[in-house]
Parts: sequence; C-alpha cells; structure tokens
Amino acid sequence: MVYSVHQIGAKNTLEYKTYIAKDGKVVSPFHDIPLYADESKKILNMIVEIPRWTNAKMEICKEQTLNPIIQDTKKGKLRFVRNCFPHHGYIHNYGAFPQTWEDPNTAHPETKANGDDDPLDVCEIGETVGYTGQVKQVKVLGIMALLDEGETDWKVIVIDVNDPLAPKLNDIEDVERHLPGLLRATNEWFRIYKIPDGKPENQFAFTGECKNKKYAEEIIAECNESWNKLIGGKIEPKEIQLTNTTLANTESYSAEAAFAVPPADPKQDAPIDASIDKWFFISGASA
Amino acid sequence: MSRLLNLSHKMITTTATARLQMFSNHVNASASSSHTLPSGSKFTLDYKVYYRDPVTGKPGSWFHDVPLGLDKVGRTVSMVVEIPRWSNAKMEITTKLPLNPITQDTKKGKLRFIHNIYPHHGYIHNYGAIPQTWEDTTEVHPDVGGLKGDNDPVDICDLGKSVGKLGDIVKIKVLGSLALIDDGELDWKVIGINVADPMVSKLNDIQDVEKYMPGVLSSTRNWFRDYKIPAGKGANEFAFDGEYRNVQETIKVIEETHESWKKLMQHKVSGKGLPKVINTKVSGTPGFKNSVKQEELGIKPEEDDGAVPREVSEIYYLS
Repeated sequence: MVYSVHQIGAKNTLEYKTYIAKDGKVVSPFHDIPLYADESKKILNMIVEIPRWTNAKMEICKEQTLNPIIQDTKKGKLRFVRNCFPHHGYIHNYGAFPQTWEDPNTAHPETKANGDDDPLDVCEIGETVGYTGQVKQVKVLGIMALLDEGETDWKVIVIDVNDPLAPKLNDIEDVERHLPGLLRATNEWFRIYKIPDGKPENQFAFTGECKNKKYAEEIIAECNESWNKLIGGKIEPKEIQLTNTTLANTESYSAEAAFAVPPADPKQDAPIDASIDKWFFISGASA
Repeated sequence: MSRLLNLSHKMITTTATARLQMFSNHVNASASSSHTLPSGSKFTLDYKVYYRDPVTGKPGSWFHDVPLGLDKVGRTVSMVVEIPRWSNAKMEITTKLPLNPITQDTKKGKLRFIHNIYPHHGYIHNYGAIPQTWEDTTEVHPDVGGLKGDNDPVDICDLGKSVGKLGDIVKIKVLGSLALIDDGELDWKVIGINVADPMVSKLNDIQDVEKYMPGVLSSTRNWFRDYKIPAGKGANEFAFDGEYRNVQETIKVIEETHESWKKLMQHKVSGKGLPKVINTKVSGTPGFKNSVKQEELGIKPEEDDGAVPREVSEIYYLS
C-alpha cells in the first residue's frame, strides 16, 4: 500500500491538480483513503494540503470527481494566505482527515455553530516540512474550535508518528511542555489570518482553549459518522462528489473513474507573485 | 509490527519524492544577476560568489569595491544582501579570502545553517553587510562597554516586504541599530528599509518602526539574543541595555566604521587575522590592483545547488 501524488499541471496556476494514487491507481482522498491507518494503535491517516511555510491555499476539491487537491480561488484569482508577522505562510503542515465531514445541517451542542461542509482540518506539528498530496500517519493530541465566519471549523492538532518527539507527546498538555508557545501562536494565527484580506478577526469557541485528546477523538468519530451518512446516501450531498474507487458497497463506487483521470503530467512550478512575500503587521497580535 | 514497517517504508518513498521536488524549485529560483560571479554549487563547501563589476565584467570585492553610498541628508546607505529573508544558510562576505567572495560559513568543517527559532523561519529579515565599513577588532570602543569590534563589515537588516537575493546591492534608508555583543565582540545590527518599499516614506526613525510594524523590534531583538542557543551557545547580550539607537546615532556608527575601514585599507592597523584588502577600485591603497583575472581566483562553472540537510527545516522551541 504505497500512496503517491498524481500531479497535473504547474503549481500556482489555475490548471494545477494533484490526485492521490494508491498502488498506482487514483483514489479519492476524501472517500477512499481510510481514516485509520491502524485503529488499534490509534494511528490515523492525514492528507497534507499545505506544507508548512507556504502560502498557496491548497485544498481537497469536494466538487470534482475523485476530489483532487487544487488551489482555492477568490473571484477567479488564485488564493494565497498572507504573512502575518512574525509568521511565514502556514505555521504547520496543514491538511485534512479522510472519511470525515463537518455536517452543515447540524449545529454542535457546545459551539452552537453548524459544520463548515468540509473534511475535518488537521495541523501536523512535527519538525519535517511535508508536501501537497502526502499521506501522513499521525497521532491525535487535541483540538481547537475555530468559528470561521460563523461556522464551526475544528482544527485537530496532531503529530507525525515518525517524528522524534512523537513518543513524548500523548495529550494536549504535553504540547505546551515540549513545544512552548506553539498553541498560543496557533490560536493567534487562526484568529488573524484573514485580516489582511479585509475580513474581521476569527473567534474561537471555549475562549480559545485547546481541548484534549479525548475530546478530539469524539469530534473525529462524529465527523467520521457524518461522512458515513453522506457516503451511504442518507444525507443529500448537494455539490459534493462522492465518486470513489474502493468502496464497493456504496452507490457512488466506480472502479472505472480512476481510469478517466488524465495521466500525470507535472510541470515546473509557476512563479509566485512577489507581492505574496509581503508581511502584514496586525496591531496587538504579535508575539 | 510488519504493518508499521510497511508504513515507514512508505514514508521514505514519499519523502524522497518531496525532496526532489523542493530541490528543483530551488534550482529554479537561483538565477544570478549581472553583478554576481558565482563559482561552484550553493550549499557546498567550495561555493563562492564574487562581486562582478557591471561595466567591465571583472571580479571585484563586495567589501571594498562596492561604494558605501552614505547620504547623510537622505539617510541612506548601500547594502549587500547575504541572506534572503526566510532562509537558513549562513552566507557571508569572507574577509579571509582575496576579493572577499560571499561563501557559506562553516563550523568544524560543516556548512552552517541557522536554526529555526519558533515561530520564525530562518532569518526574519533580508540580512547583509554595509560595504566599506569595518568593525575594528584592534581597538576598544570606550563608549560601548570597552568592547572590540568583530572584524567584519557592519551588518544590516532590511525590513522591506520583498525577499531579496544573495548578492543584491540595494539602497537602504537607515532607521536605527542594535549593539549586539556576540561572543564578547561588538557586532552592530543596523535596521533599515529598502528605499523601493512602499512603507519607506512613513518610516523616518526607530520609533516609527514600532508604530507601523508593531512587534518587529522586539522580535528582532529576541531573535538575535536567541539564535545561537540551538547550536549549544548561550544567549547573546546587548550594549545599551538592548535599547535601539536612533537614526542619528546609527549614522555616526556607520561613519566611524567607514573611517576604521579606511585605516584598514591604508594598513594603519595591525593585528592577526585582519581582512584581506585586495581591491580593484580603491586606488592609492596598498591592496589596489587594476584587475584580478578570473583564473587567479579559480572560478568554477556554476552548478546545481547541493542538497540541504533535512534537519535544516526543524524548529526549535525555547522556553
């Protein structure tokens, strides 16, 4: 079972798409890759969308068949997150858990906000910079409840199981002990990252507190259950593409879909406009 | 157990692909400009970048042949970019080699990369040197704690929004400075901003930096205090209790270190390990030569970048 990236086009262009292949056959990172790499050991699969220290807002595209990772756009233009001093791009390897979905039809009893209609977001805090389309094996440490423009947008904090620090990190309090300042910076980053685009500061539920591993595991289980309902046809998928190449008992199963994907054709990265390097200074927010 | 082994094998395959990809991005990014004369591969021990006279195309010295460019009215000075913002390789003008090429510093024979101090990524500013200045290591500075200079050109940080390139020569508006004490030597860090930056008209002195770029001065000070801790050294200290000097005081430091440089060039100082003074522009100095041939410098063809060790992307958390 070897995952590989199946890239089409050049990064930083509208044509760019990265599919993920398993043993050479294209699969959906949303539906086909199992949430658990090893459930008995609580090791989960994570899909890396945005490597640490980069700006391009890459994400799993719900609306396209087999859900390739593409760069998000705003009004037809490629979206890059801005650098809020002292941070450079995203501060963690950022991505999503496969086979999870934040149901927009139901409000969470504690945050009282509906889901954001996306797979569950994940911040991987290990020392190695990942790459777009990477499938990492991670362990869960905690969770923050961002309220992004009024929707619940959970951010699960995890670490790569192969990271040298992984054996020492078993719950959220270990993060502050071994990585002092990381949770505070993460909280600050998610609050301010849309301010340079003219949006208001984001809010966190639970007064910004990071919930522990147990709480995170419950949210992951809920989002996995929501995804189960979605893929099982119990919830109207609206725009979401459910096509998959491995889940033979679902209506959206199609082994042939893998062959309809154009062959990999990676191109040299397109240059990123120099204006993306600019630093934004947000009053009262810096460390 | 076999399942776990399988997983780690998978990690290895995918990491190698990623590294290749990052590598090709890097090669793509490192196009040389007209006044640089590179030799060898970046991130290798024999990498050198000489200054190249843009008119004659002949090799020169970043240290001695690039003019200071001090304008006391406009408060501007020249900067040679050694380390672009957000990068880790400790590139610097070498005082020990003829014509002072930029090379990567080494420690015990290994290439030196500065560590990432959380939440920072590499250097937090474009970092470089002010040409034709020298921190005199042969005399103590009575007004700065009786310290000797660090035997290098004066360091300068550009706060502008654009990421520079190694070997860029840019005009910087001076705003202030910090008197770092690095391993017991005085090591000025001048703070300024590229005159091409849109913020330049708003920034006239050190207090404007805090007003328009809140947090940048304390982050910069903490960064210089801490940046050697991951390498096993202690925290650095500062003269003047870590207070930033204002623009007038900083201009004075630049003038004084320019005078020290003149003394160096005229052989009016003596000591061990002083910088090489060979130059092609400062006529009337003992080190002046009409030209230095590329063959004498052993210039090699420019090649693809060497691989950056994986651990350079690691982050250090200081409590």
